[in-house]
Amino acid sequence: MKRSLMSILLLAAWLFVPLLHAATTDEDPTEAKVREIGKTLRCAVCQNQPIYESNSDLAKDMLAIIREKVQAGESPEEIKSYFHQRYGDYIYLEPTQTGSNMILWAAPFVGLLVGGLVLAAALRRWRRAPPSKASPSVESVSSIQAVDPPQPSSDKEALQARIQKEMAQLDQ
Amino acid sequence: MFTSFWKWALLGVIFAILLLMALGLGNNPRDIPSPLVNRLAPVFDAESLQDPKKRVRLADYRGKWVVVNFWGSWCGSCVVEHRDLIQLAMRARVRGDFAIIGIDFRDTREGGLSFLRRYGNPGYLHAFDTRQKIAIDWGVYGAPESFLIDPEGMIRLKHTGPIYKGWFEKVLLPHLGGKAATTPAAGESTP
Repeated sequence: MKRSLMSILLLAAWLFVPLLHAATTDEDPTEAKVREIGKTLRCAVCQNQPIYESNSDLAKDMLAIIREKVQAGESPEEIKSYFHQRYGDYIYLEPTQTGSNMILWAAPFVGLLVGGLVLAAALRRWRRAPPSKASPSVESVSSIQAVDPPQPSSDKEALQARIQKEMAQLDQ
Repeated sequence: MFTSFWKWALLGVIFAILLLMALGLGNNPRDIPSPLVNRLAPVFDAESLQDPKKRVRLADYRGKWVVVNFWGSWCGSCVVEHRDLIQLAMRARVRGDFAIIGIDFRDTREGGLSFLRRYGNPGYLHAFDTRQKIAIDWGVYGAPESFLIDPEGMIRLKHTGPIYKGWFEKVLLPHLGGKAATTPAAGESTP
């Protein structure tokens, strides 16, 4: 009995929750347009906040103007253009894809491309470069001698001479 | 490990980034250039702050240079510039070739009137713009801000911040055809 009651409750929840959600998101079309426009425009007195999310008086009054213009039948482009003519490019949260703003849009991709090319060239260069012929340090000489194959006698003599010379310097 | 070319390339990139950052730090984020400069000023027809029956219209000033000053009783910097505005208004009355209009925005009527009672009435008309419709129409985002309008109704200059002592000689007089302290230039003006 308990199990069947629980099943009925779960089924009811499954059926009605979407309906409740639909009721809460049933927004007035004017307000939806105001929100859509308000989210693209920057609040001029706050830092990087859309006017729709700002509590400043300026943002609220800008939203009121947007609402009036939407009700008067103006298109979102016309309304955005109204603010752009007064506040310039600054008013758009996202830079427009025109004129010198194209540099802003293209720069990250160009940078990535140039960086990739430079990195590829550098890697190729490093792989081609011959291994350095740096002489081994005094501390590692004994281990090298233990694991390395026998070296040509001239090299071995030179190494021994160098070790002796450095040991003599240490004794002094 | 790095060849000298790569070392210099890396140093160049770091220097360029630091230079861009330094230039960016020098910018005032509140100083937004106005695209309205050198365009026709938006018209307004608003009720007067002092007398609701009276209208204040920019069109009534056609043929004269006009300083349109946006202010509010809530603005501390407006108190700072008020004394200089009173001086400027006296000069306007004597010269007769320019006028001043005040726009009291985002304010209450009582707030605006008590500001004028407390700090002095400069004697020119003030439009009352409580819902800041005129301010937004003019691209205003703070106070005080002032615009210089030429006799044909074109905006010639936007000044962000308080008007200061010597602003008339430095900024306004060159436009009026007087002796220029510096070459008159259309555009932005900040203290």
